[in-house]
Amino acid sequence: MVEAKRERAFVTGVTIFLILFSIAAIIPLLSVISTSFSSKSVVDMNLVTLWPKEFTLDSWKYIIDRPDLWRSFFLTVGTTVIGTVLALLMTALFAYPLSKSEFRWGSVIMVCVVIAMIFKAPIVPYFLTVRSIGLYDNPLVLILPHILNPFNLIIMRTFFKQFPKELEEAALLEGCGYFRMLFHFVLPLSKAVMATLALFYGVVLWNQFQHPLFFLQDTNWFPLQIKIRQFITDDSVMMAGAASTVDLNYNERTLRAATVIFAIIPIIIVYPFLQKYFVKGAMLGSVKG
Amino acid sequence: MKAFAFHRMKVYWPLYVMAIPGIVFLIVFKFVPLGGAIIAFKDYSVFQGFGDSPWVGLKHFKTLIEHPDFARVFGNTLMLGFLKLVLVFPVPVLLALMINEIRKSALKKGIQTALYIPHFLSWVIVGGILFDFFSLSGLFNIVIGWFGLDPVLAMQESDYFRPIYAISSIWRDAGWGTVVYMAAISAIDPQLYESAMIDGASKLRQIRHITFPLLLPTVLVLFLLEIGNFLDLGFDQVFNMLTPMTYSVGDILDTYVFRTGIQQGQYSFATAVGLFQSVIGFILVFVFNKLSKKVSDGGLW
Repeated sequence: MVEAKRERAFVTGVTIFLILFSIAAIIPLLSVISTSFSSKSVVDMNLVTLWPKEFTLDSWKYIIDRPDLWRSFFLTVGTTVIGTVLALLMTALFAYPLSKSEFRWGSVIMVCVVIAMIFKAPIVPYFLTVRSIGLYDNPLVLILPHILNPFNLIIMRTFFKQFPKELEEAALLEGCGYFRMLFHFVLPLSKAVMATLALFYGVVLWNQFQHPLFFLQDTNWFPLQIKIRQFITDDSVMMAGAASTVDLNYNERTLRAATVIFAIIPIIIVYPFLQKYFVKGAMLGSVKG
Repeated sequence: MKAFAFHRMKVYWPLYVMAIPGIVFLIVFKFVPLGGAIIAFKDYSVFQGFGDSPWVGLKHFKTLIEHPDFARVFGNTLMLGFLKLVLVFPVPVLLALMINEIRKSALKKGIQTALYIPHFLSWVIVGGILFDFFSLSGLFNIVIGWFGLDPVLAMQESDYFRPIYAISSIWRDAGWGTVVYMAAISAIDPQLYESAMIDGASKLRQIRHITFPLLLPTVLVLFLLEIGNFLDLGFDQVFNMLTPMTYSVGDILDTYVFRTGIQQGQYSFATAVGLFQSVIGFILVFVFNKLSKKVSDGGLW
């Protein structure tokens, strides 16, 4: 009896702790959201905590009227979508032969893949290589370096390996080639792993910062993260075009908050659709070999 | 025999064709840069390229060790790496063990969602949130104001850099880190718990004697991967948290390489720094892999 009571106290304690911990996890986000919807005067008076005060859309109006921000936004949407599709195609094309014992170089290439995963090349030779193949100041640098990831490749290969051999052998006897096999049988049965990897690749492409920072000079090709970084660090970029801030209902801080939330919105929208997949993906990833 | 090999190639050629883009990618983006690390031992010039630049032996490593910046940058890197290993690494393990105790699945899902979301924000965004949170009129100063404390600009204060680094790492990635552990826990045979319950083992005992030991191999593998990246703290995070006022504690090898190598074009010198970083990482993995094999059967190889 005492034992059962203690047990219940233990579970309750753990639950309360976790609820507090998750609230703590979203508080900073709530604070930024409420700042972006509050008027300049209450923000300056330190009155905004977790709920917007003197609700106003003025900061958001200012953000939404910035054509340069939208340009970066659509550039990032475009590179993320194209990059994710290319990455899935590339990874599937490579993972499929690697999952077949008939592919004789398979084991050698797998060793190379693991080496590529463990050893990271120092950043300077990487920079020089990427520059020497003509990707410096070339918007393709936002896509090409991200379309294959050794870790994701291993996840997909593991997934392909667990398909029953019989089905494929039967199809091969019927005269079905490997390309048709991959695109008509294997990929349609791989939706779970494709969705997981789409999420992994998509997040990397959307959030990339280092590549554009190192390789892009032309401000026309700045993706969203670089743009946001400029807005966060540079007040003059932020308030460009705002003649006088005296009679406006926003300031640098509310604008910055709105910009940050602006860049999160697509992730928040896509997140619920993909949530069920990444737990599966992590399980695939943790079953190594 | 030869005819047979030829026949094989004929049937299986699509497999070889499929692999070509992947192989090309690995060579261009992984192995050429890896081989290019030899410029740490050369005086690299853009005109002569990786191959033809003159050898200079360990010159750049000597400059590196004698360089006055090096002790500071290396010290900062060690400090942050240590914080990450000791304070940040254990959090997802503990969180996963705790989440696993919650039976109400709606609550469990809600908690997990709240913990996962920050992981999907880029470090630029997290940096923006941090600067907002710790600004003079930000939530942090409002709350400490309630306790009668004077406001601080924590992001611009070198004393706060390391705690903020550790807390922001936990905030963004600890929840996500539980995913792998939750997957490992869900693979544990439920019969083990049933028999333990029949023997009258309490919840805590079950965690100590079943869940934790079975989770340990996963923890070890992730620990080894983590220690291999000991000096590789993630450029994005530190770069987006750094201000000129926190340089003394926040300038790490990654940001230093960016400044000297990419911005100032000291290619060979910066590569020496990067190589130094990779070699120490490799040695650490090697040593700890040996150790972990002695302690348990686990390990990376």
